[in-house]
Amino acid sequence: MKTAIEFKNIKKAYGEKVVMESFNLSIEKGEFVTIIGSSGCGKTTALKMVNGLIQPTEGDILVDGENIRHKNQTQLRRNIGYAIQGSVLFPHMTVEQNISYVPNLLNKRNKEKTKNAVSKWMKIVGLSEDLKHRYPSELSGGQQQRVGIARALAASPDILLMDEPFGAVDEITRGQLQTEMKRIYEQTGITVLFVTHDISEALKLGTKVLVMNNGKIEQFAKPEDLLHSPATEFVKELVKKERRTCYLPEKPLASCEFSGVANETENDDAK
Amino acid sequence: MLKDMWSIFTDRTDFFLELLLEHLEISLVSIFIAILLGGFAGILISEFQKAAKPTLGVINFLYTIPSISMLGFLIPFSGVGNATAIIALTVYALLPMVRNTHTGIANVDPAILEAAKGMGSTRIQILFKIKLPLAMPVIMSGIRNMVTMTIALAGIASFIGAGGLGVAIYRGITTNNTAMTMVGSLLIALLALVMDFVLGCIEKQMRKHSVKHKKTNKIMAVVAAILGLSIAGGFFINTQQKDTLHIATKPMTEQYVLGEMLDILIEQDTDLNVELTQGVGGGTSNIQPAMESGEFDMYPEYTGTGWNMVLKHDGLYTEDLFCELEDEYNERFNMDWVGMYGFNNTYGLVVRREIAEQYDLKTYSDLKAVAEDLTFGAEYDFFEREDGYDALCETYGLNFGKTMDLDIGLKYQAINQGKIDVMVIFTTDGQLSASDVVVLEDDKHFYPSYICGNVIRTEVLEKYPELEAVFEKLNGLITDSDMAAMNYAVETENKEPRDVAEEYLSSHNLLQ
Repeated sequence: MKTAIEFKNIKKAYGEKVVMESFNLSIEKGEFVTIIGSSGCGKTTALKMVNGLIQPTEGDILVDGENIRHKNQTQLRRNIGYAIQGSVLFPHMTVEQNISYVPNLLNKRNKEKTKNAVSKWMKIVGLSEDLKHRYPSELSGGQQQRVGIARALAASPDILLMDEPFGAVDEITRGQLQTEMKRIYEQTGITVLFVTHDISEALKLGTKVLVMNNGKIEQFAKPEDLLHSPATEFVKELVKKERRTCYLPEKPLASCEFSGVANETENDDAK
Repeated sequence: MLKDMWSIFTDRTDFFLELLLEHLEISLVSIFIAILLGGFAGILISEFQKAAKPTLGVINFLYTIPSISMLGFLIPFSGVGNATAIIALTVYALLPMVRNTHTGIANVDPAILEAAKGMGSTRIQILFKIKLPLAMPVIMSGIRNMVTMTIALAGIASFIGAGGLGVAIYRGITTNNTAMTMVGSLLIALLALVMDFVLGCIEKQMRKHSVKHKKTNKIMAVVAAILGLSIAGGFFINTQQKDTLHIATKPMTEQYVLGEMLDILIEQDTDLNVELTQGVGGGTSNIQPAMESGEFDMYPEYTGTGWNMVLKHDGLYTEDLFCELEDEYNERFNMDWVGMYGFNNTYGLVVRREIAEQYDLKTYSDLKAVAEDLTFGAEYDFFEREDGYDALCETYGLNFGKTMDLDIGLKYQAINQGKIDVMVIFTTDGQLSASDVVVLEDDKHFYPSYICGNVIRTEVLEKYPELEAVFEKLNGLITDSDMAAMNYAVETENKEPRDVAEEYLSSHNLLQ
């Protein structure tokens, strides 16, 4: 598999304070990587380095094998989807204008293409067409998140960066959105970096989970590996509860020895 | 009062409407410039935050300068008239504009900006697609404030000879015509309210954001822009005229009348077009610089004032010095004194006719013998001034039995009622002509002479020699009591200065 994003020896310091050091990570194309860690651990910093919103103090970041230091930052960003906390929509633009924001930056002329893209993405994220001319304030929280996702994906980027996009919605809506997100990922085969502070969300969505603490990688592994064999004390503590109440999707659930399902099987065996 | 206001408004609708239009023009041009400049500055300082503090500091400082002194500062640079008014109004309008633009942009949610940046917008795109639209409500409220303020402030523009409704207010004040002042003020208030209402509607319209409204908004914006530009354009075209004689007058009733006389006579006798700027605030101190810069071509002035204020001599001016005065004006400013009207607007002493006849009083010196039996009245400051009461008494050896402090508006009433016997006046005071008093002669020349004539730029006089004939007609045309009577007609009988001027000229067979 090809490498989509590579962090090489990244160091980030704000003045004297070093928040990240010798950070190395390679993310393969088509991977859904969820990043989790305590707040201030550098997960958002790592994410924003990918689209150049934050420059590393030392080291290089390669996107599709190209060092982004030498690339036009604006062009780079237009080809990377970006959805941030609460998926802040532009309040003065309609749903349609919000979603077509990046396509408009890319190609102003081709209105037909943009229009089609808007319709297509609205359908994919599960928004009905008649919401097109509404303003963000006229949408429910869940609808706003969907518009945020559609906006991030509208220009069909290869990489999607998401920074706690579902942080501000209620539990039920979040569950729905997570399922949608998973479906969209499977449908598009896009590479996703997804920052969250919710371990169950990280385990549910990620094909790989990156656990960070104090600017360092604690573990970077598949969700089941995280549960099976936590690499450090930190990871162990983090997944402790999840090991008891495994929120894994149906299929891997049985293979998780700590899930209720697994326990049941174990108990059955004991009988 | 209301009736007076209504009648003056209906009588002179054209006059007021013209002023209203001019007021609107001056205000709109200033507002337009301020929106462009202020908006631009506001955007710049939001993009380059480091510049924000010093810029706002400077603009705040400018804002605290009282408007009158601001106009005073500007006169040496931009002269008197509409240009200076527009500059001053623009300066004041800048603050709300810059500050609101800056605040509006600064208050845009940083998360939104980061989202826009992260999605690959350039700085310019963020500014125009995100920041400005989101800052618009704050900017609009700034514009609303600024528009009301500018329209109100434009009222003082007439102080430096600019047009607008301030002209009516100022003229009303100087010529004791309260109704005119009130109508002018009310029209300003009305204009401000109407503009605020219109902007309020625009603001509301902008908040509605359906697709249909967007279209109407666009159409409205285009219409407004065309309207604004045409008003502004008309303003700039208006100001360019050829072979025009620019005449200024000081804010005094008699100067309004003199200005009208010059206007009538010059336009009648020559092909020149006269542009009259009546009642320039600050009088000589603002008109003289404008004469030197060539903005005004002539204005009525008093010899004593010229001697002391313009040539800055200390001594007492008497008419023996007239040749010297003329020569010095010629040499230093390249200006001439022409058309000496003949009247002398100086301080004078009057006594009640009864008493004058009783004691046969003709000169100040005659008072000496009888002063002890008389009551002397003057304004409060006359008793304090260096060249006031004490100096007068010393020069003539007077010793009045009683003195009385009087309000300037009440002193004629006091002498007519016999409460005082002698008082200080100006020799062309309007009320003088209606009072039963005798003006005494200043036989020891205690007061300087203030003969009224016209100061004109020599260049203009040479270019239009036909003016000489007009000034010839003015020589010795008006006596002290004539002038006083005309002042009385304007101030007390509420006649129009132009009508009074016309009547006088016609009674001297100067009108064709």
